[in-house]
Amino acid sequence: MELSLGLLGFLIVFPLIVAAVLLFVRHEGPRRVIVCAAAAVIAAASVALVVMNLGAATVLFSFESEVVDFVCTGISALIAAVIIAFGVRYKNVLAIALAAVQIVGTLVLEFVFAHEIEVPYGLYFDSLSLLMAFIIGVIGSGICVYALGYMEDFQAHQPEGAADRRPLFFALMFVFLAAMFAIVFSNNMEWMFTGWEVTTVCSFLLIGYTRTEEAINNAFRQIVMNLAGGLGFLAALYSCAITVGTFSFLDFLVIGVNEPAIVTFAVTALAFAGITKAAQMPFQTWLLGAMVAPTPTSALLHSSTMVKAGVFMLVKLAPVLAVAPAPSIMVMLVGAITFVLCSFMAISQSNAKRVLAYSTIANLGLITACAGVGTPEAVWAATFLILFHAIAKSLLFLCVGTAEHHIGSRDIEDMDLLFDRMPRLARFMMLGIMAMFIAPFGMLMAKWATLVSFVDAQQVALIVILAFGSAATFMFWAKWLGKLAGIAGSPENVEVTVKPTEWTALLLMACLLVLGCVFLPLISAAVVEPYIFGVYGTVGQDISADNLWLASLCTIIVVVVLFAGVGAKPKGRTVDVYLAGVSRDADTRSFQNALSGTAEATTRNWYMESVFGEARIAPVGVVFNSLIMVAAFVVAFVVTPLVF
Amino acid sequence: MIEMTLLTTLIGTLLFALVAPVVGCLLAGLDRIISARMQGRVGPPLLQPYYDVRKLFEKERASVNAVERVYVGAALLFAVLAGGIFFSGGNLLLCVFVITLSSLFFIMAAYSTRSPYAEVGAARETLQVMSYEPMVLLMAVAFFQVTGSFDVAAAFGLTHPAVCTIGLVFLGVLFILTIKLRKSPFDLALSHHAHQEIVRGVTTEMSGPTLGMVEIMHWCENVLFMGWIGLFFVWGGPLSLIAALIAVVVVYFLEIWIDNNFARVKWQFMFKSAWLVALVAGGVNIAVLAFL
Repeated sequence: MELSLGLLGFLIVFPLIVAAVLLFVRHEGPRRVIVCAAAAVIAAASVALVVMNLGAATVLFSFESEVVDFVCTGISALIAAVIIAFGVRYKNVLAIALAAVQIVGTLVLEFVFAHEIEVPYGLYFDSLSLLMAFIIGVIGSGICVYALGYMEDFQAHQPEGAADRRPLFFALMFVFLAAMFAIVFSNNMEWMFTGWEVTTVCSFLLIGYTRTEEAINNAFRQIVMNLAGGLGFLAALYSCAITVGTFSFLDFLVIGVNEPAIVTFAVTALAFAGITKAAQMPFQTWLLGAMVAPTPTSALLHSSTMVKAGVFMLVKLAPVLAVAPAPSIMVMLVGAITFVLCSFMAISQSNAKRVLAYSTIANLGLITACAGVGTPEAVWAATFLILFHAIAKSLLFLCVGTAEHHIGSRDIEDMDLLFDRMPRLARFMMLGIMAMFIAPFGMLMAKWATLVSFVDAQQVALIVILAFGSAATFMFWAKWLGKLAGIAGSPENVEVTVKPTEWTALLLMACLLVLGCVFLPLISAAVVEPYIFGVYGTVGQDISADNLWLASLCTIIVVVVLFAGVGAKPKGRTVDVYLAGVSRDADTRSFQNALSGTAEATTRNWYMESVFGEARIAPVGVVFNSLIMVAAFVVAFVVTPLVF
Repeated sequence: MIEMTLLTTLIGTLLFALVAPVVGCLLAGLDRIISARMQGRVGPPLLQPYYDVRKLFEKERASVNAVERVYVGAALLFAVLAGGIFFSGGNLLLCVFVITLSSLFFIMAAYSTRSPYAEVGAARETLQVMSYEPMVLLMAVAFFQVTGSFDVAAAFGLTHPAVCTIGLVFLGVLFILTIKLRKSPFDLALSHHAHQEIVRGVTTEMSGPTLGMVEIMHWCENVLFMGWIGLFFVWGGPLSLIAALIAVVVVYFLEIWIDNNFARVKWQFMFKSAWLVALVAGGVNIAVLAFL
């Protein structure tokens, strides 16, 4: 256990040191060495931690430190200073006001209410934290490695004379990793809150990376919404200090399960924080705006990890939500409505990163809904959704990022013939897309479990929502997949200039994805079921082992078809496509038209704007979810006694 | 235990691969004869679909690329697997997911050719999947509510046929069955009526053995979907299988009648009506079962 504690501390501190070094490295060569080495070390350490503690129940570490408390307060002050400085520079009053409220609130909490509350066990881990640590440590470091090659191309695509902020970029990426580890390993809620706010400000600075007007606007939208969520977290801390009397997260959960009335307000406020972080409607706009950031940022912060901190919080709260109706209904409905409406809106998008963003929000919504249901089966499903979404979505983001630099566009309509132009990349992208929405891959197995858990819990509204949302999911992924699948003659292969660091990261994600799907039953037994057993005392799992193995078998078949079958040499005669006239060039689909000129046949995917347009659908979710949250807070105020 | 279920499924799949094409072929032959009679013609011999497919396999292999055939092969494989899962009494949801995977490969096969006609067909096929998917999922949920299990085999433990309690769901499934069987008025992606479209949709570029595989896949699919219909009518005891068979015959006749009497509709109508039916028939029936 000593070694585990050491590794845990190492994972939080080491990335910070790397970040400090990277801030001063201005040359590409040394940076590459440092990032690759640090990424390898972090990945190895997190894998070691996970492997040493497979099947572990909750492990608490006796660790209390005044110094850490003061450091946390100092970091909070620093965060507020950064936000206020940017707020003054770009004249954003709302951000300044929220940051000021937050820092005053934090200081008052620390020095007036909290100085007598002690948390003897400051750090902990359980199987869920370990799973998150694996995602942060392995996928996160993989994305950092990918960023090396990507940012080189990114800088080359910038206008002449643009400032090179790459040292800051890489430093922020590593600070972010440390903050994520702090969130998943802290039992002291004040420390967790500090990590929470650090991720927010990292995201803020990375979205505003290019300092264009659009980037700055979107960065401020992000910071305003997440500061509001942070205030929710702070309100929960006040409630913990005043009413519940502890800052220990695990104690808080135990008290919550036994006496839901006492914690209802705190849970509602924490759930609100989780919902903003996970960009659920009505807060979905910040995540959409965050897509202006360089793609590794989108992959790391805005799909695989930071937004997962939001749902991590909700999944942790799930056992309390199962017994506290007001926050439970809020979380369930907000998540479910977000899932279905964002899946609808994804159909109407042709910008690949926007499709990915909507799909991310939708899947986070599904996880949120599972957490709201709060049964062991639902938590099983939510955990797998977190894992597979993290892997598949980061693979997709990295593919889109690389494609963008080589075909010059992130529009799906421009990805015609990608299978010919970038054969390897297209296959990775197709694998990622299939893994997102179709059996037998892990995401769909998790969705299957979600459906069954909704049925078990008799949540009719959620069942219906899931049925329609899944159908919409099929539409927007399948048409993108179709775009990639097209094959004609042999256009120029533009793939040769992709950087080796990018291939390494892509290959890592693809391998993790396939292995994860094939060995899903083992992951369930070694990691997910121990967590559920530790929390609920029962093992809840809705899909029988033989069906899981059957799916593993199908996964292997699909992967073989995609990577071996599709590369086969043609047997028999090759003919031109039929164009209902005299073909001039089959590869470009041009034919002789009625005036003997040359016409080219073009096709576009369906976007069904009239049915699924953003303007029609977004307001519904924003209004509906806002009302639900207001109602939940009113109930929570009434339920929780405000006693000292 | 695990090996047992896997083994049953694999044996079921093998048997389905042998039996379903024969049954499906005869069904297609009957379909053509009955359709012809409805139109005042005599119609082809019963085995005409078999002769057609045999001829397709004797034709030269000519294709626009090598990939299309691989995708169609995968689609056929997963269609057979879905049938195997269903008829060996396996998990209904898994069966639904695997048949969806099969549809996806079929769609990818069409897209891979880059024929403008096939692309239009593939886009419509995608829309069709989106249209019927909610009702299919709700069907599985309703089945669970009645039997307490997603396993098809559980239907034989019922004391009365499922259709008695989930009649509304049955009607909803009947509605989307027309899409799944590719019958007019919902044959947007791929029509077997020459008057409905100038160039055939999804299968525009498929020929010879590849097209033959597509035909066999449709036979297998039809048998599977008829199995879904039969599932509503079985209960304890093997005698109920006769009732299920009668129901299947009646439903298939109804589908042929619809096919011959309605012209193709626009996608807007198909999509909106299919979702509305799923919402009303599926949602109401499931809510009633959950709350009463």
